[in-house]
Amino acid sequence: MVRRDFLKSTVKIFFLLISIISVSVFSIFTYPWKFKRKELTFFHATDEEALPIKGVRQVFIKHIRGNTQINSKAFIVNSGSELFALSPVCTHLGCLVNWYRPKNRFLCPCHGGQYDMNGKVVKGPPPADLNRMPIKIEDGKVYIGLRV
Amino acid sequence: MGKIFDWIDSRFGVKQPHKKFLERPVPEGVNYAFCLGGASFVFFLMLVCSGLMLSIYYVPSEQEAFMSIVRLNNDVTLGAFIRSFHKWSANLLIITIILHTIRVFIYKAYRPPRELNWIAGSLTLIIALGSGFTGYLLPWDQKAYWATEVGTSMASTVPFIGKYILYLIRGGEDVTGATLIRFYSMHILYFPTIMFLLLWAHFHMIKKQGVKGGL
Repeated sequence: MVRRDFLKSTVKIFFLLISIISVSVFSIFTYPWKFKRKELTFFHATDEEALPIKGVRQVFIKHIRGNTQINSKAFIVNSGSELFALSPVCTHLGCLVNWYRPKNRFLCPCHGGQYDMNGKVVKGPPPADLNRMPIKIEDGKVYIGLRV
Repeated sequence: MGKIFDWIDSRFGVKQPHKKFLERPVPEGVNYAFCLGGASFVFFLMLVCSGLMLSIYYVPSEQEAFMSIVRLNNDVTLGAFIRSFHKWSANLLIITIILHTIRVFIYKAYRPPRELNWIAGSLTLIIALGSGFTGYLLPWDQKAYWATEVGTSMASTVPFIGKYILYLIRGGEDVTGATLIRFYSMHILYFPTIMFLLLWAHFHMIKKQGVKGGL
């Protein structure tokens, strides 16, 4: 009977090993094989004359990914004392927010997140403020940096 | 039964062992609410059939998925019908599964010895919801994209391992063509296979334990 017990535990260990190997192979196999290296690139967004004197302006940044043209939304905000660009991606679950002028707030259509003009969370579930995007002005043209 | 069936069954022998099951008396106190499980199974079979048909025209690629759906809807004869059939069966499947769960709960049919069947049924509901979620991305339109963006973002809020779950689901950092292929594979291979196994277990236990009668 000793031999039988030995064989039984050997088979058990064998199947345990096979399970562990299968799970690890599956995890490694399904792990993304390539992360796109994202580099900060500046794209022309609008001209300097079109910038808001005080307030928010929605711009679309045209760029090409693969062979489709993409219009990325962004907001240029002039709070009176400071000029900056805000990403429209809600920090809650990644929907795109809209600027709602009557309330002077950014509203997220998905779960009711609200941000003020500076991108600070006012109401709703978002855990963090809207991200700022790099912006630069050269020769009267406004460029916004995207990671693509 | 018919001559052809008898010829097959005299060799295959599926009738004899099921005789007791097929001729068993129905317990007292059953009503039409006991049909909800069967209705769910019929919707599942309808989904399998229409899904097999859809898979002939659908192209699971970032570039072509949306156009293949447009072609299916506009050019293919009965294309829009089969697609609607799949969509409505899916909606009704979820509804009937939930009603069936409520029926089982009310009639206390989850009690011993049927606990494991309740667990198998719950897993079936989870797989059905997973199929619904993965199937929603496949048209690859704006609604599908944003629903998946939001739905998969929720997975990333899991403490510590959220990021890795997100990578596993999306196949990268963002919702891209890699996500589409993953969802397609889950939707047509993984989930239906798991579903068939679970339903086999579910029906096997009904056969062994019998139907729990009225209150």
